[in-house]
Amino acid sequence: MASREPAAREFMARLAASPCCAAITSGQAIDAALASRVAIVFILRADGLSLGPLVERIHRAEKLVAVHLDLVDGLRADRAAVRWLARARVDAVISSHGQLMRAVQREGMVAIHRLLLVRHSLLESGCAAVSRSGADIVEVLPGAILPDVHSLLPHLNVPLLAGGFIRTKDEARAVLAAGAAGVTTSSRDLWNMDLD
Amino acid sequence: MTEPAAVLPAIFVPSGGRDPVRLSDPSVGLLLRDLDLFALQTAAESGRPLLAVDLDSVEGLGADAAAVSFVVERLGIGIVMTRRPALAKRAADLGAFGLAHVFAFDSTGLGRSLDAHPGGPGVGTVISPGPVLTHISPQDRARIPRPLVAYGLIGTPERAVALLRLADAVVVRAEHAASVAAMLRRG
Repeated sequence: MASREPAAREFMARLAASPCCAAITSGQAIDAALASRVAIVFILRADGLSLGPLVERIHRAEKLVAVHLDLVDGLRADRAAVRWLARARVDAVISSHGQLMRAVQREGMVAIHRLLLVRHSLLESGCAAVSRSGADIVEVLPGAILPDVHSLLPHLNVPLLAGGFIRTKDEARAVLAAGAAGVTTSSRDLWNMDLD
Repeated sequence: MTEPAAVLPAIFVPSGGRDPVRLSDPSVGLLLRDLDLFALQTAAESGRPLLAVDLDSVEGLGADAAAVSFVVERLGIGIVMTRRPALAKRAADLGAFGLAHVFAFDSTGLGRSLDAHPGGPGVGTVISPGPVLTHISPQDRARIPRPLVAYGLIGTPERAVALLRLADAVVVRAEHAASVAAMLRRG
């Protein structure tokens, strides 16, 4: 993949064609992800300081790469780390730090704001932070409960991803039916399933 | 560590200092959260039984052993929720229920939280958000130290009753508490 643009539009087109994304938490999973039908690989655990070869490998497989800035080793969630990920040719950055979303976009990457679903009294402030951040996409966790709680969420005006505890085809379908544009999952069985 | 003297109710209703909740059902517990130290003291001195506190949400209260001692020994609160496992154990050592707060956003994080859970007599678990319990595998559920409280985003009384098949207690909004209690009585 030679270019990071057009970032958000291409990301959403890939997601629409293949709504199940591979969430990678170990090196062993990468081969399975690259051999699968997924169009986007989410790196949740890795050495953030040496991502270049991994990103290149994923791009050679014609897939996009999203990196979780808050979880990878070696990086602090700040603007310099965002620039570092852009230099590594990452396509999208996930973070719970809303103030970094604009910086991610300025670097030509897709900004994904993580929204943690905890309890009613925290939803309002969480959703307000998401609205302020200007993210391209919101990822809600745990995604498996989205069918239970989507009526409690205000309309966020950005596409939703759902991740966490989505292990079966039925769970993935229920989450998509509840309004998610895609799911992120580490369950390899789902990576090759047709969710239509 | 001894078995706690406190009783764990099946239903909790959250209450902050600014919105005092009045409950007619004495079997429903009151979870004190999102309040400051003075409001916590006032609530504790009200004499209401079955009080629990979300230790991490109390303004002015530290996150250390002294804070746990104050809550349990001085204020007489018998159920302490905290995201710090060592403090949950400390509460249990003092004869209260110490409930380690586990935020279950994905299976990897849940596994790490359970690995760090001290367990043992009187040390249970609060899991948030509550509805995630139904999505946790039976093997992982079996690893969660009891008693187990489902807390957060439990939208309906029916959902609360369903969760009580997997948990020992639920935290529900005040307007749902009576319905949940009635459904439990009907079995």
